[in-house]
Amino acid sequence: MSAPFKNVYVVDDDDAVRDALSALLKSVGLNPQTFASPQAFLEVFTADMAGCLVLDIRMPGMSGLELQQRLNEMRSILPIIFITGHGDVPMAVDAMQKGAVDFVQKPFRDQELLDRINNALEKNAEDYEILRAESDIRTRAGELTNREQEVMKAVCDGQANKVIAMDLGVSQRTVEIHRARVMEKMGARSVAELVRMVSRIETRD
Amino acid sequence: MNRVKNIEKAEETARRATARFDALLDAAVDAIIVIDSRGAIEAFSRAATEIFGYALHEVAGKNVNMLMPDPYRHEHDDYIQNYLQTGNAKIIGIGREVSARRKDGSVFPIDLAVGEVHDGSEMRFVGIIRDISARKASELEMRQQRERLAHVTRLSTMGEMAAGIAHEVNQPLTAIATYSNASRRMLASSDADLPELSDLLEKISAQAIRAGEVIRRLRRFLKKREGEYETLSLNELVHDIAALAEVDARHHNVKLIIETGEEDVLVLVDAVQIQQVLLNLVRNGIEAMATEDHADKSVSIRLISDSANARVEVIDRGQGIEDSMRDRLFTPFQTTKSFGMGMGLTISRSIIKAHKGMLAFKDNPGGGSIFYFELPVTKGDVAE
Repeated sequence: MSAPFKNVYVVDDDDAVRDALSALLKSVGLNPQTFASPQAFLEVFTADMAGCLVLDIRMPGMSGLELQQRLNEMRSILPIIFITGHGDVPMAVDAMQKGAVDFVQKPFRDQELLDRINNALEKNAEDYEILRAESDIRTRAGELTNREQEVMKAVCDGQANKVIAMDLGVSQRTVEIHRARVMEKMGARSVAELVRMVSRIETRD
Repeated sequence: MNRVKNIEKAEETARRATARFDALLDAAVDAIIVIDSRGAIEAFSRAATEIFGYALHEVAGKNVNMLMPDPYRHEHDDYIQNYLQTGNAKIIGIGREVSARRKDGSVFPIDLAVGEVHDGSEMRFVGIIRDISARKASELEMRQQRERLAHVTRLSTMGEMAAGIAHEVNQPLTAIATYSNASRRMLASSDADLPELSDLLEKISAQAIRAGEVIRRLRRFLKKREGEYETLSLNELVHDIAALAEVDARHHNVKLIIETGEEDVLVLVDAVQIQQVLLNLVRNGIEAMATEDHADKSVSIRLISDSANARVEVIDRGQGIEDSMRDRLFTPFQTTKSFGMGMGLTISRSIIKAHKGMLAFKDNPGGGSIFYFELPVTKGDVAE
């Protein structure tokens, strides 16, 4: 598999446009994968997909906008570049408000599209990194014992060891041991870093 | 003495008979012309002088072919000879629509009925003639009116479809631009693959042809011309118009499903007009679906036929026809749409009627409506 940040998923019901896009993307070293319908794309979609999505706004059956909606619901982080026809500007505006990164009008200048794709891929790389970090935090948090999780939550709430020990009905020394374990397992160098980590996974829940 | 009296009496009887005959001739609304077996005019009624513009003395004894345009004028003597020799009647006792020629040289349509009179050894023919130019003119005018209206409706339809058509031309243009850019970038790179480049060039030309095809179909649909009836495959007409309707379907995210048999169903039609009807029904169907909230929006065109009739159904799964609209659906200028003239179904029905067919609608048991028309199936070869 090629680098994840070269994947460009193209969804367009027009055989020729799809094929031409694929040829163009290949010619600049990107890795296009084409789909003739939103349904076909949804069949292979997973939330951890990296790259970007080039999406025709008008298609029979499910439209590009509807696909965007579905992907949003599935927490996709794939940036979407819409390809629109003449007079589709209101639809494009709607798409932008729902989080699409950009749109180009048909027929488009190739550089215009490629620039947008590159921007989208960069953005995706950042988002992907964030997502990966969050998933990492989640994994580590999942490895804590129940007691450790209770201690972590209390620490993040800003409670002192003495208060935590009273609340949990254990000695202050025990709290200190748990706390050291939490810091070690989470890979946090300070309480501030731990708080940041926990808030990242909490805001996404 | 008695002989003289008898002769006088006979002459008197003959005179009276002639007078009665002349009175009868002149009272008839239709023109009546009597000729002998050589074609010479013996009697020419008053109505005949009115229709043809000749006075009796101008035609008496002359060949009846002076009342005919070419080529019949030169062939009429042969017609008579042929009948006298073979007894093979082409017109006698049958009657038909033919052309006639007035004194001023103008040609006009007539209904002609011919009967024969045996009078001893002499054979005569009686022609009864009705000038049908007024009827023909009004038929023509009605047809022209229908065609003008149909043309205006087509123009208006295309106007409404403009956005979709622009999209349809834009698709191949986009592909062409993109293929050429890909080719250019491939050429600029060190490892240019010649067979692949050649493949891209071929695709570019195919897309240019595709764009031209959209325009060609459009022009053919908008062409204004006299009604031309041809024997055509209804399957092909359906597929051809579906390609045009596809423009609208895509624009409204509606899928078109076409169900025609393998076997060609032949109909004698004005292709553009039938396509206009079909496009109208399909566009109505698409419109009925466009506002629906199904994930799977589709309109079906189904062609079914037996040996006598072909039926084309356009099936949508929309809301169906409102009760208040049912009776007025085929009335001009009745529309539930925010734009459009409200002429679509009216003109469609009159087109199908002119093709000796019928157009109607019924409820789709699965929700929505089925609009359909039937045309008589014809036999013969498809026009090229």
